[in-house]
Amino acid sequence: MAAIQLEELSFRYPGAEADTLAPLSLSVADGTAFALLGASGAGKTTLLNLLSGLLTPSSGRVLFDADDVSDLAGRQRNVAQVFQFPVLYESMSVAENLAFPLRARKFDPLWIDERVQRIAADLEITQQLPLVASQLSLFQKQLVAIGRALVRPDVSVVLLDEPLTAVEPRMKWRLRQTLRRVQEELGVTMIYVTHDQTEALTFADQVAVMAEGGLLQVGTPEQIYTTPSCEFVGYFIGSPGMNFVDAEQLAPSLSLLAGTQRVGFRPEWAQLQAQDAGQLRGVVKSIQLAGTEYGAATGVVRLQTAAGQIAVRGQLDVTVGQSVGIHLARHLCFSAQGQLLLEDYE
Amino acid sequence: MTSGHARPWLSASRWLLVGYCIYLLLPLYWLASIALQSNADITGEFALLPENPTLANFAEIWRNPVWFSAFVNSLNYVVLNTLISILVAVPAAYVFSRYRFLGDRQLFFWLLTNRMAPPAVFLLPFFQLYSAVGLFDTPLAVALAHCLFTVPLSVWILEGFMSGVPTELDDMARIDGHSFSFFFLRIFVPVNRGAIGVTLFFCFMFSWVELLLARTLTGSEAKPIVVTMTRTVSASGLDWGVLAAAGVLTVIPGIIVVWFVRKHLVKGFALGRVS
Amino acid sequence: MNKPYNNKAWLGVLPVLLIVAFSGVVPLMTVVNYSVQDILDFNSRFFVGFQWYSETLQDPRFIDAFLRQLGFSASVLIIEIPLGLMLARGMPRDGLSASLLLVLLAIPLLIPWNVVGTIWQLYARADIGLLGVTLNALGISFNYTADPLHAWLTLLAMDIWHWTSLVALLAFAGLTSVPAPYYQAAELDGASKWQVFRYVELPRLKGVLVIAVLLRLMDSFMIYTEPFVLTGGGPGNATTFLSQHLATMAVGQFDLGPAAAFSVIYFLFILLFCWIFYSSVVREHD
Repeated sequence: MAAIQLEELSFRYPGAEADTLAPLSLSVADGTAFALLGASGAGKTTLLNLLSGLLTPSSGRVLFDADDVSDLAGRQRNVAQVFQFPVLYESMSVAENLAFPLRARKFDPLWIDERVQRIAADLEITQQLPLVASQLSLFQKQLVAIGRALVRPDVSVVLLDEPLTAVEPRMKWRLRQTLRRVQEELGVTMIYVTHDQTEALTFADQVAVMAEGGLLQVGTPEQIYTTPSCEFVGYFIGSPGMNFVDAEQLAPSLSLLAGTQRVGFRPEWAQLQAQDAGQLRGVVKSIQLAGTEYGAATGVVRLQTAAGQIAVRGQLDVTVGQSVGIHLARHLCFSAQGQLLLEDYE
Repeated sequence: MTSGHARPWLSASRWLLVGYCIYLLLPLYWLASIALQSNADITGEFALLPENPTLANFAEIWRNPVWFSAFVNSLNYVVLNTLISILVAVPAAYVFSRYRFLGDRQLFFWLLTNRMAPPAVFLLPFFQLYSAVGLFDTPLAVALAHCLFTVPLSVWILEGFMSGVPTELDDMARIDGHSFSFFFLRIFVPVNRGAIGVTLFFCFMFSWVELLLARTLTGSEAKPIVVTMTRTVSASGLDWGVLAAAGVLTVIPGIIVVWFVRKHLVKGFALGRVS
Repeated sequence: MNKPYNNKAWLGVLPVLLIVAFSGVVPLMTVVNYSVQDILDFNSRFFVGFQWYSETLQDPRFIDAFLRQLGFSASVLIIEIPLGLMLARGMPRDGLSASLLLVLLAIPLLIPWNVVGTIWQLYARADIGLLGVTLNALGISFNYTADPLHAWLTLLAMDIWHWTSLVALLAFAGLTSVPAPYYQAAELDGASKWQVFRYVELPRLKGVLVIAVLLRLMDSFMIYTEPFVLTGGGPGNATTFLSQHLATMAVGQFDLGPAAAFSVIYFLFILLFCWIFYSSVVREHD
């Protein structure tokens, strides 16, 4: 396992007008479960390909444990990758598939057998070992693919490119669980690329949010959620995402930091009150039931205000068309450029 | 693959490929070279490059009504065959790809067997059959005879492509209230343009090149170019120049067809149910 | 795809059925009919049962032609299949060079078969041909019209020139269907070039290779025009294969009965290949 360091890494396709990946720097500690989160086109797959050696950086360096690997080919880097669909040797048995990376590097055959058994046991596919790979279900195949990535003891990092994509929907959660468990047990450095925030926030110790070839924020899932560094991150994370209103639309009773242009608040940070109370006034447009809490119906209420549409999460004791006041128990201040201004008030 | 780790251009396979391309081009070059020389030059001193290149041989063909009409005859039945094959195969392929019905697998198999029949076997019966229905010595006869081979192939290729077109398309058209003929002609067929192009290629590939049946079923009226050329060889005058020129002219339509269909070519060959 | 059952679908296949029946079934019935009769002239025919069949199978000319045919088809397969495969592996996957190469490879497949024969005549003749003259200049007394070995070699070279492209294009189609991640994973595994071929490419190529082998086997078994134009079956009988033997019998000599019997035998043999072909292709499909 290794710690990964990216120094001012950038990439541009030959003949392209702009960088696919703007110069960025990143540190991934050894043994971390790390998620790269972003919409398609954000540059996450490019970043992954720079890590695996499929692409060579246009500038900057890739370091595995302080070794510069930027110019090394994939096979020299000790990297393993799991793809969107199970990539196996379909004509070989599961055991042969798992043993292949070890045989190619000339490990001792007896030790290889032991290792294959151990990994298969970890992933709970021991029963499938003698079967030919093409006979397995998609879920099982992807487990084998993960096994192939984990089987080499000297692998620096395991890269995963949206590994849940091809798996049957009802098995996705199980695959996610297995990945998390195995990552913790083996202490493997894993870099997991996804566009699904639930996957990222539940799987990872650290999350990097990417957009348009740049890193927007790196932090724990908690940090990303409660203190997004910019409007985009706030809006992207959460379902529904963070609400944003122009500061001028709010009642002056709300204390704001200097330079605040926009105010952001998560749906659960707001409460609905009587029409005159609260910092903002709005009309209820729709009610979406999500569940109950202490016997009372809860869900998402969408309102039309002078500052635009917002969503509030809480008890559903209002009716459509009702005018209400919105009280912000908690909020964040954002500058004119959409950057977070620190020190929020409760 | 980008930068640095690409396969070296000069691997063994590449050398082989280059060598084979030369192997392919040499006889074609020679054909063109002979076509551009007069008979005297050809039978005279041997030279790698034509000494006095001339277009006289091509002019001879252009002027000579026998050669010219032979070309037209050939094009005639090839176009006819392609039209009939596609017209007939498209509905059949549609039906094979969308429905199961009594005897469908057997029918499909039987169709394939026809592609596998040696043309020589049909020499005699074709001769008698087409004479009996009064089609002997017409382009239609050759076109129909070739259908025995091109129609099964067309159905096979088209069915393969059409199976890949999702049935949601059909459902959407029905929900939109379109009639079947509207859906089929204005939606389904255009969607399968690529497939039809590939089929065209394969029909052409068979019909343009075949000699035995084309010769048997034609007399003097509809004599195709392939026959005229063989006659030229066996006749006393070994007019190599004109022969080569005619050869060049028969190669060109092939090149044109391939160029237009090249994007779909690989997909067509992949119809061996690769995955 | 889940296909609904609907017998009205027969309407769609009716045109195909009619055309192929007209073109194929009717003539075939005629052939079978003739094969069991002795036809002296239009009005006098006698039913002779399987006499023609046994005569044909014992006819030395038939056996010779059959053996020559086997030798030819075997040589063709042994060379063209591996060659086509290697060519496909050497081709770039996409880009302008790939397009040009595809077009170049496809050209021999679209040349009328007699023109192929003519091209090689002009190419291999000892007096005016590039190849013929060059070989003779190098000291080899090359003459394919006189020497049977030379005739065979020239025919082989011509068939390779003509048909290897088919194998190469089929194999190329198979190779391009391998998604890039498979190559990537093999690279990260540290697999050698041979292992990549054996474990990533070959399993995918099985389908197309079966088709290539069967197509070449069948088509080489039916070959007629090219050898006819190039050597006329000679020198002597050296390059007379089955189709030509049949054509001579059927058209030249008006021996309808034996010719018909021969046709049926010929067809049955091909049908055997077809059955193998269909079962392997259908197995892949399902």
